Amino acid sequence: MKLRVKPVKRFPHSEAISVDSGSPLLPLAVSHRRLVGDGKMSTTQASHSLAFRVMRLCRPTLHVDTPLLVDPSDLLVGEDIFDDPLAASQLPRLLSGPGIKPPEDAADLGYRTRFLLHDATDSMGLSGLLLLPQAFGAIYLGETFCSYISINNSSNFEVRDIIIKAEIQTERQRILLLDTSKSSVESIRAGGRYDFIVEHDVKELGAHTLVCTALYNDGDGERKYLPQFFKFIVANPLSVKTKVRVVKDTTFLEACIENHTKTNLYMDQVEFEPAQNWSATKLKADEHHSEMNSAARETFKPPVLIRSGGGIQNYLYQLKSSSQGPEHVKVEGSNVLGKLQITWRTNLGEPGRLQTQQILGAAITRKEIDLQVAEIPATIIFGRSFSIHINLTNLTERELGPFEVSLSPDDSPEERAVVINGLQKMALPKVEAFGSSDFHLKLVATKLGVQRITGISVFDYRERKTYDPLPDMEIFVDLE
Amino acid sequence: MEQESTDAGALLDPLSNPFASLDSLSPDLSSLNDLATRGSWRSILDKVSRSRSLNLLRHPHHHLTYLSFNVLALSKLRRFADASAELESLQDLDSPEYRYESYPKIYPDRSGSMVPFFLRWLHCIVPLRLEQRREGLDRLYRLVDLVREKLKEREANSREESLNVWKRRELFVMNTIIGDHLSHKEFSVCLDLIKDLLSRDCSGLDAVLLSKLGYIQLQVGDLEGAKGAFSRVEGISSEGNSVELKNLVNRNKALIYLVGKDYVSAVREYEVCIERDHMDFVAINNKAICLMYLRDLSDSIKVLENSLERVPMVALNETLVVNLCSMYELAYVNHSEIKKTLSNWIARVAPDDFDSSCTRI
Repeated sequence: MKLRVKPVKRFPHSEAISVDSGSPLLPLAVSHRRLVGDGKMSTTQASHSLAFRVMRLCRPTLHVDTPLLVDPSDLLVGEDIFDDPLAASQLPRLLSGPGIKPPEDAADLGYRTRFLLHDATDSMGLSGLLLLPQAFGAIYLGETFCSYISINNSSNFEVRDIIIKAEIQTERQRILLLDTSKSSVESIRAGGRYDFIVEHDVKELGAHTLVCTALYNDGDGERKYLPQFFKFIVANPLSVKTKVRVVKDTTFLEACIENHTKTNLYMDQVEFEPAQNWSATKLKADEHHSEMNSAARETFKPPVLIRSGGGIQNYLYQLKSSSQGPEHVKVEGSNVLGKLQITWRTNLGEPGRLQTQQILGAAITRKEIDLQVAEIPATIIFGRSFSIHINLTNLTERELGPFEVSLSPDDSPEERAVVINGLQKMALPKVEAFGSSDFHLKLVATKLGVQRITGISVFDYRERKTYDPLPDMEIFVDLE
Repeated sequence: MEQESTDAGALLDPLSNPFASLDSLSPDLSSLNDLATRGSWRSILDKVSRSRSLNLLRHPHHHLTYLSFNVLALSKLRRFADASAELESLQDLDSPEYRYESYPKIYPDRSGSMVPFFLRWLHCIVPLRLEQRREGLDRLYRLVDLVREKLKEREANSREESLNVWKRRELFVMNTIIGDHLSHKEFSVCLDLIKDLLSRDCSGLDAVLLSKLGYIQLQVGDLEGAKGAFSRVEGISSEGNSVELKNLVNRNKALIYLVGKDYVSAVREYEVCIERDHMDFVAINNKAICLMYLRDLSDSIKVLENSLERVPMVALNETLVVNLCSMYELAYVNHSEIKKTLSNWIARVAPDDFDSSCTRI
């Protein structure tokens, strides 16, 4: 199932401003590498005063630590000492006194916070500290690529009239993210920087290149051109398998979403957008009894998380056609049901959005005729002819027929147990729209016991087609 | 030894108050404690080794206390193999050798286990750090069982102080378990365990635990769940008015703003926290991160550098240093100079357990 990116409103680019770094002059040696994923820098002949530094800015993470923090009463005394009433009365004071926990404004706090347990939950290691992304990581279709770009003047001279451009280049297109040619940056002082943040919604798979270029006048007045390239690959995060089943008048759509990424995906929304003449309802399984505890309910709705690297989640939708009545005309060719819109989130709510292609329903084989057995004898004797009364109804709004009723050719190696007695083909006249016709068919049973009447089918001379046969019917063939 | 003898230290007569000072609990305990608060773990190793060789540890519980400090120091210095060896030298922690009643002459009228609880905890943690996760987790879950047994006994006898201590220990161990699952990204388990803890009545810690539930929900991407948890925290803390709780509420708000990419409002929330408590290093660190997402790399660097200068005893944290170094790498083409400067400063002031690999030099 092919996935497409849902068009999403692009975020406005931040206005770039000149930055005075206020830091001491750096040595002239320009290091050429701040890699972003598989980023490569172009080899330039001339040495440049400017250099691009790029860092992917996906969301920061809430850092998880493995701290070794102690509560004094767990270390300084035996575990059962508080059972001693004297200890119970004396120790709390001692263990929270100035010897252990000095007042906050004390001159020398030491590194108490790296030793003492402040709260029992500290041992979880989740203090709420944020950590900057430490690696480029993987990037997937439907996500937003965000990057901090800093252009650095590491020379001893001011550079002037800088035109900066940032683009994303893919196999199919070039997308401009930033262009200062209308209002070029006047200057970047020695040791200074010019920063900007760019964002791009990833809508294509495969190789992408972030191309950063700067056209500037260096300290000697020479006009120089600096291109830098940072490559990354976009992969497919999900695959969706669908199955359509029709039960009477209702169409059911099963969707199975598989997670191909390296992180768990929180499924924020998986909605089916039905096509014009359909309506859809998502069907949910009954809630697990443990979730019925209402006090915990709102906060603890277990999140729908698809495990990384191959986890799956199934969804079921009930679809109803909104056209009224049984005169639903069969649509030749496609039968479009709609598409799935999928929104997921990862770390700190980093969103991704995709939609599937149009999902097609089963081809409508709307029944045109209905064949039913209206009457059948109570007793059927072996070898003796018996008659069944069949009713043929024309379900369409046009005249059908004339017809021929016969036993369809037998595929199985065994002979049929019940065969037509007499003329093997029976002719039936035309039946008008929504009309019906009754006829009797003479049969004879050639085997004893429980047998089936099978293979009675109807052929339409005019349309030259065979309809579905009469549904199989079980009978009991007696001896006498 | 059968009879207690007073040594040059401050051992008081046991008939009067044996809990008057740290040193009356174990010899030189105040010194050990002081070294620990300074992060002088190597000195602790020396001290333990000396005290043992000079035979200064008279009573069984002294040995256990010193051994606990030793294992802790080794662990802090990330020498987990050595810590494990030290732990192996012990008998089963439930053996009579470590019970007061086995030494009636030394501990008249006292019964129970003299094992410092932290030693049991270290016994679980060390295998985890040695990549023996199954063993470590098994030990932690068994420890929870032990704690719950102790709780049941004390509930029956209604010893309040003792009960409170064991309740806190239960939370402590459960949170350690949650932390391990968290570091292995087993989020569903974490959420279930926290839900279980919150469903009991541990009112005092609800706000912090609820906030952590919110953080896990944020990590997973369940923004609505996190918002729900944080608003419950706000409900709790409006009754108390400690600076700590107020800051917690503001920091939670900041995270929601950050998730919505409203970094300006997030910075504002963190500034409120710092105004209230200039040592709130979580607010300081996170404010710097937000500034960076606002394209203000220079100020984000300044915020972190200032905090290291002003309040190093809380700011000197490996995560903060990693963030600062990431910022340096972005801001400076030749960042090795400035990272070296930082690294040299750290070497001068940092405690023994500081992991200097975080500067990535």
